[in-house]
Amino acid sequence: MSAAAPALKTPPAPAVMTGARLLVSSLERMGVEVVFGYPGGAIMPIYDALTGSSLKHILVRHEQAAAFAADAYARLSGRVGVCMATSGPGATNLITGIANAMMDSAPMVCITGNVPQGVMGTDAFQEIDILGVTLPIVKHSILVRDAAEIPAAIEQAFHIAASGRPGPVLVDLPKDVQFAETVAPFGFNIPNETIEADADAIAEAERFIRAAERPLIYIGGGVKIGRATEALRAFAETTGIPAVATLNALGTVPTDAPGFLGMLGMHGTRAANEAVQASDLLIVMGARFDDRATGKLAEFAPHARVVHFDADASEIGKLRETHVAVGGEIRPAIEALTTRMAAAPLTIDPWVIRCASAAARHAARYDAPGEGVYAPALLKQLSEMAGDRFVAACDVGQHQMWAAQHCRFARPEAHITSGGLGAMGFGLPAGLGAQMADPDAIVVTIAGDGGFMMNVQELATLRRYGVPLKIVLLDNSSLGLVRQWQELFFAENYSEIDLSDNPDFVKVAEAFGVEAFRIDRRDQVEAGLARLLAAKGACLAHVVIDPKENVWPLVPPGKSNAEMMEGA
Amino acid sequence: MSMSDTIHIQIDRADGSLQRLIGLVERRGFHIDGMSMAPDSEVEGAMRRIALTVRGRDAARSIDTLGRQIDRLIGVARIQAQTFQSEAA
Repeated sequence: MSAAAPALKTPPAPAVMTGARLLVSSLERMGVEVVFGYPGGAIMPIYDALTGSSLKHILVRHEQAAAFAADAYARLSGRVGVCMATSGPGATNLITGIANAMMDSAPMVCITGNVPQGVMGTDAFQEIDILGVTLPIVKHSILVRDAAEIPAAIEQAFHIAASGRPGPVLVDLPKDVQFAETVAPFGFNIPNETIEADADAIAEAERFIRAAERPLIYIGGGVKIGRATEALRAFAETTGIPAVATLNALGTVPTDAPGFLGMLGMHGTRAANEAVQASDLLIVMGARFDDRATGKLAEFAPHARVVHFDADASEIGKLRETHVAVGGEIRPAIEALTTRMAAAPLTIDPWVIRCASAAARHAARYDAPGEGVYAPALLKQLSEMAGDRFVAACDVGQHQMWAAQHCRFARPEAHITSGGLGAMGFGLPAGLGAQMADPDAIVVTIAGDGGFMMNVQELATLRRYGVPLKIVLLDNSSLGLVRQWQELFFAENYSEIDLSDNPDFVKVAEAFGVEAFRIDRRDQVEAGLARLLAAKGACLAHVVIDPKENVWPLVPPGKSNAEMMEGA
Repeated sequence: MSMSDTIHIQIDRADGSLQRLIGLVERRGFHIDGMSMAPDSEVEGAMRRIALTVRGRDAARSIDTLGRQIDRLIGVARIQAQTFQSEAA
């Protein structure tokens, strides 16, 4: 499975050009339209070559934002996101974004300048061994030592980033390589290998499913990544098997689809977690048994056998014994399974009814008392008002969990979140990247007051390029998720979570030239959301919420998913 | 009783490839008890052969999973693995 292989443009006739110019031509040839980056000494030849190219370079205000934006661009468009930075601090500032793309399998190519090869290893000014530093957090990395190798290196980088289980690829270019003049051939083509699903394994999967009384589909991010959303929906509809989703898979089945029980795990729904615990067969589709999804692994789905579909063979059996493994591309594998399942219906009505009644019994309520803004209700309403073009770009914290629990997602691309890494500061640059990927989408950054400040400088980027991103800033004047854990698990010892001296966020946004207004009370929410969504340009709604509000339900860390806590 | 495995690997000479392999093995929870490396006499050019003797830090570490994680690396090919059991603690 792979993100779309970019259409290769006709190779230009070989001509003498610098490595920097060759790099830019190579990116153009890969079909790259947008690059997020920040210049500096060791990448100056490339920035020199950028002028006059067809690439649209978005100058962010911090390299971390370039990586986050490229990641979100990739997640929404399905194409490889590209970011670039200079050596040393520029490169190290990319690191959190590279790790984020690695953890959530986003296809990204990161281009870094480096000091000339002659001084590499001498602690030269702004020299960092970025290839070495990033080894554990990249899918692959390439140090290009000869300008003539640039076209091949770029093609290889894009291929690796997008194929199989996608991920970030770093291409490091010493400055002398950027300056070097060369005649380089284009047309280095990598064969598109696809791994066929094993027909015997699919037949075996069918046998397990037909033998099960309480089968459950456990959907992971690999379904969306493998462009298998429609295939998965057809499988769920054909079989009628109930489904749960991980954080990164929300929207793969529409939130309100029959049989969908919601997110599983730490902040999942009670119906989803109960179904997992009762299930006798988990049909795992592109998921990796992350601890936030499983809770205490030894007690996760204790009665279930496991059928696991995954493009990454190393995920099979990594954390949980697998009875049937289906490797290779996930979309044809699911389609083949659906064809087999269509031959005869399952007889699982009691189980389906049991799951549906649990979902109805535990449905979220939005009738919290009081005049204050109830964030879960606001987020649900936001997604309903924005409709099918809605894309949420979430930061990390309580608001992220509320968005996952309460927003309506019509497609998996509608929910962009830092799942595996949980990187605060993701929301604003992710919104920028997503809006650049789809100017017609209604992209809304949902952030808390903590994470928003980690990349607040990107308001300037919105202003500069006229990016019409909407921002819902849920301000509880604290680091809410940490505060919640201190309340519940650290005897209410509130340590370093108070942010009550936050700046005036409306003034901050206005100082950057971004329209902003404040929502303090529940009766202002509907009009406020309407104003936000109607704004022509970027707009920020500063929403003041109760600092004591918690995310419920909750599985305490290290506990079984059977032990969900509810709020008062 | 501890279990050790020797994994035979073919690896290219690209920048960082050795670090990438060793880093993966240690990061995924294995001790490296022995290692030898030599140019690959059967292949022209820039390939090397490495034999790594590894031992999981705890019982949960699976040599099969490690092998598949090595397979995922670019420029690295796993040739074969042998498992040895010893009575040594």
